[in-house]
Amino acid sequence: MSKFLLLAFRNVFRNRRRTLMTLVMVGGGVTGLLLVGGFFAYMYNGIREGAINNGLGHLQIFNAEHFTRDEVRVLDTGIENWRQVAATVKTGAHVRGIAPRIEFYGMISNGVKTSVYMGSAVDPDAEKSLGFSTHITAGNNLDSKSGGDVEALIGAGLAKSMNVRVGDGLTVLAMTSDGALNGIDVQIVGIVNSGIKEYDDRYLRITLPSAQRLLQSDRITNLVVGLNATKNTDSVYDELAPSLQGQTQKLVLKKWIDLATSYKQIRSLFNTIYIFIGIIVFFMVLMSSVNTLLMTMFERTREIGTMLAMGTPRMWIIALFMVEALVLGVLGAIAGLATGNLLASLIDHAGVHLPPPPGSTDPMKFYVLHVPALMIGSSLLVIVSLALASILPAIRASRLQIAEALAHV
Amino acid sequence: MNDLAAMAELVRVEAVTRQFPMDHNFVSALDDVSLRVAPGEFLAIAGPSGSGKSTLLNLIGCIDKPTSGRILIEGVDTSKLNPKRMTTLRREKIGFVFQTFNLIPVFTAAENVEFPLLVQGVSAGERRKRVAAALESVGLSARANHRPDLLSGGERQRVAVARAIVHRPALVLADEPTANLDTHNATHLIDLMHDLNRRLGLTFLFSTHDARLLEHTDRIVRLCDGQIQSDALTAPTRLKGASHEQVLAVSL
Repeated sequence: MSKFLLLAFRNVFRNRRRTLMTLVMVGGGVTGLLLVGGFFAYMYNGIREGAINNGLGHLQIFNAEHFTRDEVRVLDTGIENWRQVAATVKTGAHVRGIAPRIEFYGMISNGVKTSVYMGSAVDPDAEKSLGFSTHITAGNNLDSKSGGDVEALIGAGLAKSMNVRVGDGLTVLAMTSDGALNGIDVQIVGIVNSGIKEYDDRYLRITLPSAQRLLQSDRITNLVVGLNATKNTDSVYDELAPSLQGQTQKLVLKKWIDLATSYKQIRSLFNTIYIFIGIIVFFMVLMSSVNTLLMTMFERTREIGTMLAMGTPRMWIIALFMVEALVLGVLGAIAGLATGNLLASLIDHAGVHLPPPPGSTDPMKFYVLHVPALMIGSSLLVIVSLALASILPAIRASRLQIAEALAHV
Repeated sequence: MNDLAAMAELVRVEAVTRQFPMDHNFVSALDDVSLRVAPGEFLAIAGPSGSGKSTLLNLIGCIDKPTSGRILIEGVDTSKLNPKRMTTLRREKIGFVFQTFNLIPVFTAAENVEFPLLVQGVSAGERRKRVAAALESVGLSARANHRPDLLSGGERQRVAVARAIVHRPALVLADEPTANLDTHNATHLIDLMHDLNRRLGLTFLFSTHDARLLEHTDRIVRLCDGQIQSDALTAPTRLKGASHEQVLAVSL
């Protein structure tokens, strides 16, 4: 068996130039997949951490009814005893902090014009301690200690629509939890630009006490839990989920991934693109390898005929060609892994930046992650591709008529 | 046929015809050829190009099938064997020497000689012994670790001979073994093959139109246009272990 493998290995290096070209092609495919996949992985990480740090958090706690029915009145599917729940959760391992939120909606008016808003009430200190950031283009963030007017942040589109600037006042109207109409005057302290027009055209943010006063309720919509690292999400989820069962209200715990719809959509889109690239690489390697291996087979026709004449089983000939292809695939994969990782390190070291993505003013860093799963996957892809490519030449070689093969020039 | 002849028979070719398709017709490479070969013979099949020498060797070597007629090797009718048993028969009973040497270029001389034993599944220790003995018998022990591209034409053909005899076949078939060799190497190879024939009792059956080789041959079968023109003993006493009558009996 060792002699047989030796024969296959030596045959691979028989025509060094052709082998080198095949290795360049196979290695190039692996390198390409590593670079593209590594960049996508970096992008996914960026989007994921961006979403989490922009307020999504790692986990969120809701009243179970929040997902089973629509609210009849404001906050009737909210969490009642949220301070007690927050105190329980805060003691858990890896929990960095908890931020209560209220999501509400209503009308906003400048005295002349009225528009619809989508409101979000937060505890500014809790948000700050969790590192949740808001992209404020003018003014400041909310201050929880402000004793005067009710402070508000509004989206750039809403500010334009209402024709207001930082320091101006607006009236916010909403239905209370009793079904009555209530209103408060707010002072604009900052303008927010999230990059998403539809969002900025309706965005309003006030402090939690202000919203509770407006809505006449002590309830909140949800509790956002921030952890010390995203990788701990599953373990904290497994630990917290049972402890929420003993509450008077039925509560549910959601992971960030369950709530990050846009992240999932983007990831799904880019995964599809990556699979498409993988398919192209697979077929490129397959087609060119079939050609190379067929050439090899034709060149070695007389040699194969000699081996068959000496009583070599035809299955051995098939195995020989397949082993040679596998050796090529493994060597190509090793070459690709080495080149891909080297190039990735060089790119990361060079600090290359791409133009800003839509909705952002900051250039995007071109960074390539070294992902072990991608290395294994892309290596297997080219090895399988070469193994498949060897089938046709191997079968043709094994079916050669010995007398004709020996007469081959 | 008498009993003596039947007992001493290694190869029997019975009314064999081999036709090849060409355009819309068939061309006969062999036409109703019959031949018998006894063990230990040193037999040449001579004739001009296109006379059917290689076709006859291919048929006896079980790497081609006759259009009609049958070939028996040690009494086994090869036309009744399935491909797997044909492969086994070739592996165990026949050794091949080719005009163009046909060595595996990425193997050393020793590894080339070892290949038939590898295919037969002989143990590593036994392989080493037999390869050393085979290379010794062709005088190439010192060149065992050289690859074919570092060997001369004569040396390559001697390696091919060692490869053909290493598994102790009943029959060695050589198709124009001296055609690619100069006079010196051709003479050396002929002496070597003849020596192996006498010393080890190996049966050599080879095609040639090389007059140098024919001079050393015990029996010459002359082919012309696919038919046997003559079948003559040149030096019957050289036929090891067989009397003149035996040789005549199996040759008829």
